[in-house]
Amino acid sequence: MTARLLAQAGVRESVRAYWFWLNAGIFVAGGLLLMLFGQVDVSLLGYRSYGRALAGLMQLALFVVPLMALLSSGAAIAGARETGALDYLLAQPVTREEVFAGKWLGVTAAVAASLVVGYGATGAVAAVKGVPALPIAMLLLFTVVLAAAFVSIGLWVSALASTRGRATSVVFTLWLAFLALGSLGLMAAFVRWGLPVGVLQVWSLVNPVEAFRLAMIALLEADPGLLGPAGAALLGDLGRVGLIAAASGSLVAWTALAYWAGRRAFASAT
Amino acid sequence: MIAAAGLGKSYGDQRVLGDLDFHIEAGERVALLGLNGAGKTTLFRCLLALTDFEGELRVAGDTVTPGRKEVRRKIGYVPQQAPLYDMTLTEFVAFFSALRGVAMDGPASTLAALGMPLEETGAKALNELSGGMVQKALLGLALGSGSSVLLLDEPTANLDPGARRDLFRRVREIAAETTLLFASHRLDEIELLADRVLVLHGGGLAFDGTLEELWRATDAAPRLWLSAPAHEVERVVAELRECPVVSDLRANGAGVEVDVRGDASLDVLLEVRQRGLPVTEFRTRPPSLEHVLDRLEGHGDASPVDGGGG
Repeated sequence: MTARLLAQAGVRESVRAYWFWLNAGIFVAGGLLLMLFGQVDVSLLGYRSYGRALAGLMQLALFVVPLMALLSSGAAIAGARETGALDYLLAQPVTREEVFAGKWLGVTAAVAASLVVGYGATGAVAAVKGVPALPIAMLLLFTVVLAAAFVSIGLWVSALASTRGRATSVVFTLWLAFLALGSLGLMAAFVRWGLPVGVLQVWSLVNPVEAFRLAMIALLEADPGLLGPAGAALLGDLGRVGLIAAASGSLVAWTALAYWAGRRAFASAT
Repeated sequence: MIAAAGLGKSYGDQRVLGDLDFHIEAGERVALLGLNGAGKTTLFRCLLALTDFEGELRVAGDTVTPGRKEVRRKIGYVPQQAPLYDMTLTEFVAFFSALRGVAMDGPASTLAALGMPLEETGAKALNELSGGMVQKALLGLALGSGSSVLLLDEPTANLDPGARRDLFRRVREIAAETTLLFASHRLDEIELLADRVLVLHGGGLAFDGTLEELWRATDAAPRLWLSAPAHEVERVVAELRECPVVSDLRANGAGVEVDVRGDASLDVLLEVRQRGLPVTEFRTRPPSLEHVLDRLEGHGDASPVDGGGG
């Protein structure tokens, strides 16, 4: 009940924030552009261009969603601490665990809502063209899970950071690190240090950005060449369903573990 | 209503509160006096169960357990820094009423009694309201949600004099049945509100008693401010130095501040009249907090001075 009230307040606050509409706007614009550029192919090749549009949206999500989720959650606790809002809130009949849960629910719901708006435009165009809605629904679902993982990470940082500025700089660095250590970074490491494939496979699943990418490519049955060497090896070892399950499990694990660590850090701060 | 026994709190090696024992009856208005860093906010955090502590604390019949939220239903809290929320006043009141598990009518009618009916001010964003209005809103929320204990943590620290007077007038009017504990380092505020004073100093309870008892215990009489034309200030100072009831003087271009021995303020004014000094206006000022604390330290050798209060 308390966490729900806090979450509702968080969503209301987020909907007024610039990042909510920026995120939604990026996905509306990106989705529509990708769908329109695919028009010629649609007539010739059926749903193939739709798949390209989805792959394009997935690439967009890889860059944008973690950043939005990290920036909004990174500010959620540290920012409230700076403005005195957190102290006042904690003086009410609420526990720290409820406040943390409320913040997580609020930011995650807000990011999810902005994605629904953003992907909704693509979905509407797809419906007009008569292509199936399931792939975009799956993309939306996985993107929300990706966002949830990064909201947990951002709140963890926010619980530990003394100021909003420090939280923002840490989450921005984390975002760059997760992106840099994605497929390109892995490939570079593979070539430079001759890392064993097993290490690359594990890292591909541990990095939430990579896990999302692998899950989506496998799910959308896109070109296996897009998986990269580690992903292709994983596909060979685990199969399509196994890869999707492992990558999804990684995202869920990130969400749960970072949430647990953040809640613990926040609850023990006296 | 509020009882502390052996209350202590340390942050690492730093002892912030040490072995406090005090009891506040229901309906009492108690000032918590101390310089910045004396431990006032820490004591409030203990009362609100926001931090762990040593010893025992009871508020409104409940034992305070760190981290447990139940006791906070009985406590209304107004902090020093008005919190910033991206909400309208109505949303703010609705949100915190729901959080406290009360209908919005109570806080809304209290706010109306405080001169802030939601019909008129409810649509304004919180950050559009003045600091005094936000503090009044917090007060209305605290009082209107059925709190039996009101904690005010230097609520006027960031307010202008007009807003400060207004807030304290509202507290005096409304908090008659509510137990009030308010932190301050301003002696003039304490005179307006307090039945009793607790002085925190060096982490300990340096005094517990009425304001009069505090003055007696510290030999701290009110100061007199005498305004005089700039070119006459030197003469006023010279003449008043000869008065036996004057213990010290400080002057600037606008007048003279006089420390008076004992209860002899009227004697000083009589001297002014008899000597024909060109004083244009006079005001009394409470003793300085630094003076009071210096005297308490001197009196008590760091052990608490008991003025006789609960």
